[in-house]
Amino acid sequence: MFELFTAMVKEEWRMHSTMFGSLSFALFPVMIFGIAFMGAFLLPLLRTTLPAGNLSLIIHANFLLLGFMVGAFGLLGNEVMNRRFGQASLLAYSARSLPLSEAHIFFVFVVKDVVYYFFLWVFPFGFGYILASPFIGATLPSALLLLLTLTLSFLYGLCTVFFLSALYARSRILLFAALLLLGAAWGFAVLFLSINPAHFFPPMLLFLAFSWTNLLLSLVVLSVLFALSVFLFSPEQTGSAKEFHDAFAPLEQRFAFLPDPPLAAKDLIDLYRSGSAIGQTLFSFLIPLAVIWFFLSFLGPYLPPHGLIFLFAIVTGVIASTMYTWVTMFDSFGPYACLPVAVSRIISGKLTTFALLQIVPVLFIAAVALLSGEAANLVPAVVLCLAVSFYAAGVMVWLTGLSPNVLVYDVKVLAVYLVLIGIVLTIFSALAFENPLYALFSALLFLPAWLFVRRGKARWDAVDPSGF
Amino acid sequence: MTTILDAQGLSKNYGDVAAVDNVSISVKEGALFGLLGPNGSGKTTMIKMLTGQVRPTGGSATVLGLDVTKDPVGVRDRVGIIPEQETPPSFLTSMEYLRFVGAVRKIAGIEEKADWWFDFLEFRDKRNVLCKDLSRGTRQKLMFAQAFIHEPALALIDEPLINFDPIMQDVVKEYLAGYVKNSRTIFLSTHILEVAEEICSEFAILHKGRLLHTGTVAELTGRGEHLPQFFLSLVRKGNHV
Repeated sequence: MFELFTAMVKEEWRMHSTMFGSLSFALFPVMIFGIAFMGAFLLPLLRTTLPAGNLSLIIHANFLLLGFMVGAFGLLGNEVMNRRFGQASLLAYSARSLPLSEAHIFFVFVVKDVVYYFFLWVFPFGFGYILASPFIGATLPSALLLLLTLTLSFLYGLCTVFFLSALYARSRILLFAALLLLGAAWGFAVLFLSINPAHFFPPMLLFLAFSWTNLLLSLVVLSVLFALSVFLFSPEQTGSAKEFHDAFAPLEQRFAFLPDPPLAAKDLIDLYRSGSAIGQTLFSFLIPLAVIWFFLSFLGPYLPPHGLIFLFAIVTGVIASTMYTWVTMFDSFGPYACLPVAVSRIISGKLTTFALLQIVPVLFIAAVALLSGEAANLVPAVVLCLAVSFYAAGVMVWLTGLSPNVLVYDVKVLAVYLVLIGIVLTIFSALAFENPLYALFSALLFLPAWLFVRRGKARWDAVDPSGF
Repeated sequence: MTTILDAQGLSKNYGDVAAVDNVSISVKEGALFGLLGPNGSGKTTMIKMLTGQVRPTGGSATVLGLDVTKDPVGVRDRVGIIPEQETPPSFLTSMEYLRFVGAVRKIAGIEEKADWWFDFLEFRDKRNVLCKDLSRGTRQKLMFAQAFIHEPALALIDEPLINFDPIMQDVVKEYLAGYVKNSRTIFLSTHILEVAEEICSEFAILHKGRLLHTGTVAELTGRGEHLPQFFLSLVRKGNHV
């Protein structure tokens, strides 16, 4: 088991360093450490406007989401690698060639994810805070407690997504029934029994009030989730001879009004048949946004009137921009290499599909605006969300071309992205907080978005396609 | 005879590694040209450069009169390509993939043409199966069909026979031999020397990125030599250089 574990860790490292460059990738935990260390010095300032409890909620929510993302990518890894590197084969999918059961390999895979991403993300962050703690008046035990609860938050995200995807693989109805049941139980407990929502997230409860009982509760819930994930795990069967009706021709005709109907039709079929359309919408969009909505709602009293809906529109816009990664993650230049198609044309095709998918955030923001009594601000909120989404996607195209996943771990690229996005978010959130109608000025962002895309196409046409 | 493909001093470096080093090759119309070499000799990189998939770091090349660096999309529009790895999109069916190729290449009557290929390469039963669920051999058939479905003046094909059974290899060899009789040209990369000797009219041998030899199969057989032995002695000498 230990040999498989070390081989998987090496594989993960080589996969990342091949994609992002050894140095850039090695610098990633250093950057996380730097952000945590320097960010810690801003805490006294932040505490003047935001209670410490709310701030820690947001940080824990981020690590919960990190766990979601790591888990979701791990489950898709083989397909993504195949597309990016050709006939890639990951150890996690090697049950046919190794004398080990699928469940055994999955167990080691999960342990590997936990250890690897702990040292990549969680530990550098916690360590940065621990080193800064003497300078900001925080005690060492409280800093160590934060490291523990952030680790647990990350593990909750990871195990939750494994559990939900295991349910999804068994039965989609089972998954939706489970989500509905959990949502209803949670809503009932919070609304009618007035139970503190933090009780539903044991790591947060542990952070707010450390006790051995709370620690035990955290570990028990986590172990149950993990055990259920392994128990319910059912590996995907490949080699099916299932036949499909021709969906390409009707879709191509339906999208004849688009700039490149064949590419859009292919992308949509990819999304639907790979399960990404439902899976990604659920795991990478709706669930994270529902969690963020929950956590952001704590900020309401500290924001200007109507500020929350615009803050949420901006966050939704940033997350909606990652839909560009959905349409590129299963694709690379490889399948197009034998066709008269330039990289710029593939980018245009991906952006067309991206634009079609923006209906999801529009509907989501509309629903949030109506449910939170902000119907009057629906239009400016939708404009702000879409403008941020297209702008962030444009920046991604310019920086990464057809490989937006590079953004996450390439320190240089991520730094440029954060600056370009950060400036815009600051300006337009301030404008929207000042006057809701000022959010409409965000439509101006479509111009730099277009310029970034134009420059990105020229840039990526001029170099050999990555991973090819 | 018109020159269909002309490479002069073509090179490709990946960092300090020279995948292809100063290679010059010329191919005339109607030739079935074999690019031969051991694994890792630079054959695939040559095809990628000649089809504008990767940029040369040195030298120049024209294909059907188009500069591969200045107009890579134009080159790919006019040629047919079978890449080294069979990579049809996972979530399209075989028929959908050929429709996709037809739509991108703007081929009229794609349905009939696709049907002809399903029958010719005997995989009609896989017409509506997802590409990810196809066997390697069937994927290779599909890639073969997409490369020739628009009847290009030049096809650059990388190890086209490697996943086929002997019966299908025979069908494909016969097709390739017939294809060049109508003033069309094939640039074939392979390390199956018996196949090259059987169907190629001209050949070049690459080893460690360098061109060791160019010539015709007729010259060799005229001297009473066989391509496999000639290749092996040349490459073994090359190993000691």
